Order: sequence, then C-alpha cells, then structure tokens
Amino acid sequence: MLRAGADRFNRMRMIEFLDLDAIHECRCLVVGAGALGNEVVKDLVLSGFRYITLVDHDVISRSNLSRCLFFREKDVGSVKKARAIASRARSIDPDARVRPNISRIQFVDMSDHDIILGCVDNIDARIHINSHARFLSIPYIDGATYGLRGKVQTVLSDGPCLQCAMNRTHVKQMERHFSCSGDDVFVTPIPSDITTTAVIAGMMVREAMKIVSGRSDLCSRDMCYYDGEKGTTELLDVPVDPTCPNHGGD
Amino acid sequence: MTLVITVKNVANGATVRMETEPEERIGEIIESAAEYWKKDPGAYVLKKGKTLLSASSTIDESGIIGNDILELIPDPEGGST
Repeated sequence: MLRAGADRFNRMRMIEFLDLDAIHECRCLVVGAGALGNEVVKDLVLSGFRYITLVDHDVISRSNLSRCLFFREKDVGSVKKARAIASRARSIDPDARVRPNISRIQFVDMSDHDIILGCVDNIDARIHINSHARFLSIPYIDGATYGLRGKVQTVLSDGPCLQCAMNRTHVKQMERHFSCSGDDVFVTPIPSDITTTAVIAGMMVREAMKIVSGRSDLCSRDMCYYDGEKGTTELLDVPVDPTCPNHGGD
Repeated sequence: MTLVITVKNVANGATVRMETEPEERIGEIIESAAEYWKKDPGAYVLKKGKTLLSASSTIDESGIIGNDILELIPDPEGGST
C-alpha cells in the first residue's frame, strides 16, 4: 500500500484530465528569467514538469528581489538569473532538471522542446519566439504584464498568433529600445507587482498542463486579458490577420 | 459615408468621438487615439465588445457601425525585468 504522502503528486492525480506521466516527460523551454520566469518555473516544477531549459543572459539586480522567489540578496550584481533559478528549483523537487542557457533567445535552438513559455519583456523577442514556434509547430504560451494588467495568449499550429494582434504602436515600441548601462537594455514603462505576475504565471502553466495532457481543446486560444484593477478576466477573440507574415501575408 | 464612433480610453474612462470613413484602417484609429491622449509609450490594441480588432482591417470589414463604442487597451509587454 502506498503510504499517504509518499507520492508528492497523489492529489494532482485526482484531477482527471491531467496526464502526469506526459507532464514529467515534457521538455519545456522557458524564455526569460525575470519576475514572470521565476513564477513560471516555480509553478512548472510544483506541477510536475521535470525537464526545463531556461534562457536568459541577464544578471540579478536589487529591484528583482521584491518579485522573484529564487533570487537572494547575495546574488545581486554577480549571479545570472537563469543559474540562480536552475540551482534553487531543485530544492522544490529534487527530480526537477532545470538547465540554464545563458544566452539571448535569438541564439537558441528551440526545436528540441515540446512546449515554449514566453516570459520576456519586449516585443522583438516575442515576435522571434512566435514565428519560430509556429514554424516548428511547437505550442507557445506567451505571458505579459503591465502594471496591474496582464495577458496570456496560447499559439498553436493553427489559429491566430501574436502578430495577428499587433499594429504600428507595437512597431513604435520596438523602436524605443534604449540603453541605460551600455547594454541593450529595455525598460518597461510600467512594471508589475508580484500579485499580477503570479496570476499570469499561473494561467500560463495551466495552459501548458492542458496542452501536454492532450487537452488543447480546453486552451484559451485567443487573448486572455487580466485587469487587476477591476479584478476581471476577459477572453478576447483574436481574428487571424491575413496580412500577418505567419499566416501568408507580408 | 462618414461614421462617427466613440473610442474609450479604459485606463481613465475618457472618451473621444471620431469621424471615420468605412475604408479607414483600424491601425490608423489606434494610432490616432493613442496620440490624442498622449498615451504612455507602449503598445495598444482596440477592441469592440469581446473581439480584438485587426489593425489591417477597415472600419467596414470590422463590422463597425455609427455610434459604436470601441475600447483602447494597453497590450502588456513586461515580464522579465
């Protein structure tokens, strides 16, 4: 007889649609190891995902500490974000294998993964992941925050993608990249707090669990828009844009 | 035929009435509204009810009629910093 609590996932096994064996075997690519990346990796590991590649080239800064579970004061200024998360995620589950990739996503081969979770802070990276994921037919779950607002969009091989919902204001925003330290640094106009970040991360990982469990039909295929000021979540239809380059347009 | 629509800024509830033409593209409406309110740098999208409007579509193609109310919302971008 299995001792009560012997299997750390015995409660999750009671959720009928979850395929924990598939979740254990899934190869996840998480892009971005900031606030959202911390929460997403935490939720992935607690949910039973064991093979996670985490991409980020950045070093931990003090302002990260208020929103990042895996970062410590002693890390500030010297430790790479992806390395800190990778080493400490194992304290949540010793079976978790989080592999840091200290790089920019533009230099990463995404093809060796079953699912991609985007936790980035700029449109350029989103467009890159979006187009490659669609080309490779790898499900892509994008999360983003803006103050107390956030969104999650799941991109599958059919249906709308991130670029279908973009316009000239996105292009202008891409052009606003600027440097404050000599590096190619992008500063978001309105940062988010941990509560908004946690909500968005939870929604992202839940989408991943559905997909990996073979229940893509349950996914929010359009844009799930969260407004923490009002306390509302709204599912917005995203029409496929025939001019989108990922849908045969220019 | 000119259509008069209302664009609502969800950040503060402000509204602006705009005269549009059926062939005018949604992307132009988004840019005009963002500039009118001198919005913070960032990306914005326009929705009608529960549908996000495609920037490349025209007013006519989007099924917009006179006196419709469209909502301008920020498209979140952060996550990593």
